[in-house]
Amino acid sequence: MTPIDDDAPPLNPAESLALIERERRNVGRDLSPDPRVMFWPWGIAWLVGFAFFFLRFGPDGRVFVDMPQWLPLAVLPVLMIVAGIVTGIAGSRVSGRVSGPSNRQGIMYGISWSIAFTGFSILFAQFSQLLPEEKSGLLWAGGMVALTGALHMAGGAVWNDRDLFVLGAWTSLINIVGILIGPGWHSLIVAVAGGGGMIAAGIVGWVRMR
Amino acid sequence: MSDTNEPLVTELDPVIHAQARLRVVSALSVLREDDRITFPQLQESLRMTAGNLSVHLRKLEDAGYVEVTKTHQGRTPATLVRLTRRGRLAFDDYTAALRALLNP
Repeated sequence: MTPIDDDAPPLNPAESLALIERERRNVGRDLSPDPRVMFWPWGIAWLVGFAFFFLRFGPDGRVFVDMPQWLPLAVLPVLMIVAGIVTGIAGSRVSGRVSGPSNRQGIMYGISWSIAFTGFSILFAQFSQLLPEEKSGLLWAGGMVALTGALHMAGGAVWNDRDLFVLGAWTSLINIVGILIGPGWHSLIVAVAGGGGMIAAGIVGWVRMR
Repeated sequence: MSDTNEPLVTELDPVIHAQARLRVVSALSVLREDDRITFPQLQESLRMTAGNLSVHLRKLEDAGYVEVTKTHQGRTPATLVRLTRRGRLAFDDYTAALRALLNP
């Protein structure tokens, strides 16, 4: 077989295979967002935001830190909005590099989050006034964490990503435990185990990508 | 050229058997079927000049291994590149041949 041009051939089979692997890893890294950027903002939002809730609205109405009531109610949503913006920008920057089915999948997955959270919020708002403050807080937090867990598991199924599925299952499980133990403790469990789980997911993804 | 290179030249696909094109095809093989990568991104990932990449893409296109499409993303024109089914087969055969050479 004669070469079709004078471009240098690869040196030997072992080196060629190494070259193939190197290029594939390079491009794979360029085409998926940094897991740290995708998970850590949410992990930090949960860790800090729910810790504020626990400290102000502790178990059995205890107040560990006497801060104004509005503070935790403001900190968590603000941190979540920041996380949403950061991950949205990081995700769309990467998704612009490829066009095709994967891109559409990513967009549909992103839209699923927005629609599902809007639906839950509208539903919960109908009950907030009817429930005691404690129970209302648990309804909101427990519902949103359940939804997050479910969407992560679905994401794991869509991309055949075991780590993402495990994160979703873990989040769902600790949420159930927290709900059963009750308000106050739920915030602490979601902060430490939920937020911690997302930070761990960012580390695991990053290590695998390197 | 050493002895180890002899079988390479006789058995391996000459279109892919060039360092630059092997890199291009390897990079494109990461994409899922029907996904297309933008030209500038491919260029950045491969750290090749636009001219050099174009030359090799044309050779791969002539062999029916890649498909280059010009389109618009919003208002900006975009060039998208994908590996064809034929290209993917050729790449799979090429890597299988390399492995066979390593472990006869």
